[in-house]
Amino acid sequence: MRTLAIETATAACSVALLDDDRVLADLHEVVGRGHAERLVPMISELPDGGRADRIVVDCGPGSFTGVRVGLAAARALGLAWGVPVHGYSSLALLAAAALDEAGAPDRVAAALIGGHGELFVQSFAASPFRPAGNLASLKPEEAAAATSEALVIGSGAQSLIDARRTGGARDILPRASDVRHLPAEFAALAATPIYGRAPDARPQA
Amino acid sequence: MTLILGLESSCDETAAALVTGERRILAHRLAGQEAAHRPFGGVVPEIAARAHVEMLTPLVAAALDDAGIALDAVDAIAATAGPGLIGGVMVGLVTGKALALATGKPLVAVNHLEGHALSPRLADPELGFPYMLLLVSGGHCQLLFVEGVGRYRRLATTIDDAAGEAFDKTAKLLGLGFPGGPAVEQAARAGDPRAVPLPRPLIGSQEPHFSFAGLKSAVLRARDAGLHRAEDIAASFQQAVVDCLIDRTRRALAVSPRATALVVAGGVAANGAVRSALQRLAQERDIPFSAPPLWLCTDNAAMIAWAGCERYREGLIDTLDAPARARWPLDPTAEKARGAGVKA
Repeated sequence: MRTLAIETATAACSVALLDDDRVLADLHEVVGRGHAERLVPMISELPDGGRADRIVVDCGPGSFTGVRVGLAAARALGLAWGVPVHGYSSLALLAAAALDEAGAPDRVAAALIGGHGELFVQSFAASPFRPAGNLASLKPEEAAAATSEALVIGSGAQSLIDARRTGGARDILPRASDVRHLPAEFAALAATPIYGRAPDARPQA
Repeated sequence: MTLILGLESSCDETAAALVTGERRILAHRLAGQEAAHRPFGGVVPEIAARAHVEMLTPLVAAALDDAGIALDAVDAIAATAGPGLIGGVMVGLVTGKALALATGKPLVAVNHLEGHALSPRLADPELGFPYMLLLVSGGHCQLLFVEGVGRYRRLATTIDDAAGEAFDKTAKLLGLGFPGGPAVEQAARAGDPRAVPLPRPLIGSQEPHFSFAGLKSAVLRARDAGLHRAEDIAASFQQAVVDCLIDRTRRALAVSPRATALVVAGGVAANGAVRSALQRLAQERDIPFSAPPLWLCTDNAAMIAWAGCERYREGLIDTLDAPARARWPLDPTAEKARGAGVKA
């Protein structure tokens, strides 16, 4: 079963074509805000133009714009190819890849830079892989108080560790080919955004 | 037969349409977001973008279903690539790119303003180039000399607010509701257009441009004076806008003798008072007047598909790295108008 993975929830623009758990091709660029320009050309550079039996896409949390770019592409390809499209969580992807490494701890916290100086944070545990807490959007000091895991990963890891003053930070961005580390049920979410924060708008008084 | 799928998502309408080179609209689907934005009294970009990503692919599927056409049967995919609210533009453009990649059909990255500018030709087979276009919407107020597909000379633009923006702000000031254009027009029907003395900025000026900010401030003062009914303020405001549009358009026609028709497009072209005043001006100049049907004036995907069709037939296709653009003037060589740095 061929899977196209689309990962645009952070500054990385990342795509991969997998045959079951085997990575056939993997393209990963740090584009900042350029997903709308780079994503589809990158998919076209994959073998067979990325053609797959199913598509999995990062639903967030992360960059609202990035998440929408990935979902727009995934849904359109799903419609055109007539194949199913499912989602996964950016934080679960980071955690699943980290917990699968040799010598990894049995728990990890994932933290991504969100909006208004906040971090999207969630803790995960291994064997079996599972969330060990709820997703939250928190200020770094709140995130520090809410997490006890020694290892924190993601673009927000350093600011969480700076606020907590204990533990280690690994500043990494999610990578599409890491979907092979996600148990099937974690890559079977509805293909709709996980924003993790409401829009910045107040109704008129 | 050329068949184009068009996608639109640059403001607060999500839309998909199928249009042929013979001007047949085989399907058009549109999901408005008025209810989502109404509590905020205007379009909230993040709320708009959230709705676009939910709605667009289902609308494409529904449009194909309506027309009984397989995606592979289209000749090209046309998507709005700007100008507009960038989050929404990205959703539509990336959807179009992915459909183009999956089908192996070309992408046409359409300037939303060109969609409006060419929309009268979708409705009116007789309309040839060159023509004088008053492009008047919530984001723009321009006079363009349209020489052909992709060939625009901007003669005038607003130096502050767009005319549609003035309608929206007036509606807000008078508590008439959102969207403002239809609300003001309806209130104006019950009012006296001569009741409230309001300014006509730049009328008679040697400068070719438009200005509506002072008019909006005058509406605020008239409201606060408490001497007038909201209907009278709305009617007087609408008349002032019409007078400004006509004066500036008359001036542009006087310096453009080659214009074979007067054309209006954009959301404010749906306003009945604006349309009839422009029709009278065209009669006075002895040239035909052309305006798309009301539903084609406000944002829609049929005009994007049509602009895509016109461009595709001239070989104007785009690559999959085409940029999403928040700003994208139709005439990039136009001299900068004072104060109009943002909207020109």
